[in-house]
Amino acid sequence: MRKRDTCKEETVKAKAIEMLVADGFEGFSMNKLARACGISVATLYIYYRDKDHLIVSIGNEKFKEMSESILGNFDPELDFEAGMRIQWENRYRFMVDRPAVTRLLEQFRNSGYQQQVMPELAEAFKKTMGAFIHNAVRRGEIEEMSLETYWCIAFAPLYALMRFHEEGRNMAGRPFRMTETTLWQTFSLVMKAMKR
Amino acid sequence: MPLNKIPATMNNFDHILVFKTDLASHRDVETIRPVLDAVTHIEEWNVDLYDEDFVLRIVSPRATHQEIIELVQAEGYACAELK
Repeated sequence: MRKRDTCKEETVKAKAIEMLVADGFEGFSMNKLARACGISVATLYIYYRDKDHLIVSIGNEKFKEMSESILGNFDPELDFEAGMRIQWENRYRFMVDRPAVTRLLEQFRNSGYQQQVMPELAEAFKKTMGAFIHNAVRRGEIEEMSLETYWCIAFAPLYALMRFHEEGRNMAGRPFRMTETTLWQTFSLVMKAMKR
Repeated sequence: MPLNKIPATMNNFDHILVFKTDLASHRDVETIRPVLDAVTHIEEWNVDLYDEDFVLRIVSPRATHQEIIELVQAEGYACAELK
């Protein structure tokens, strides 16, 4: 019996991510992927039942890796600022270390595949973050607010800076690179805005 | 199909045959459905409608490429072994 070649499989996944990011889900084809990997299309269909299966499997795997990176050492019982600091650190590290995966996951969020990618994991994520906010409100560290308002104040500044960083320029088209100084200065301003 | 519903046969790579076809729509798939469903040794089959090769994927311990090609072509569709 043919054995599943995990080394080849990892190459296929890495190449698929690269192509999905470059061409989008619509422009992606199994044929192009096979050619880029130097394998036959038939081999791809041994691993995956169809294009959707490949996209959803990769999405699930990467979403899981991102969740583990972001929630790994995070405890929703932490006091607000300490918890937020870990969140910023984890999210920043993941974006710096895995830029292609970050872009891919963003594509998933803006696509019809969103519902298919790890609904249980997304639920667990929401639950942990929900508990963290709830604790902070209960302790009187922040005022009560919707999850959307929370996210927009708590994390949108980080994501906006990271977008400038990735594009290499800011909103006015001037060169920009993210630094730890900018990161933590922004963090402390976010804390000022949120904490009572 | 949700990932947890993918049958165990997925892992039996010797039993998977793939073909390039012109089964380009759900209607085309419905046309060949009774033909392929009637073959008892075909455990599972699907057509990738979202890919340019409209790949027909067959999971069967006994099917031969020739057998499947003849079945699909008899319905008026193109079908060639994908290598």
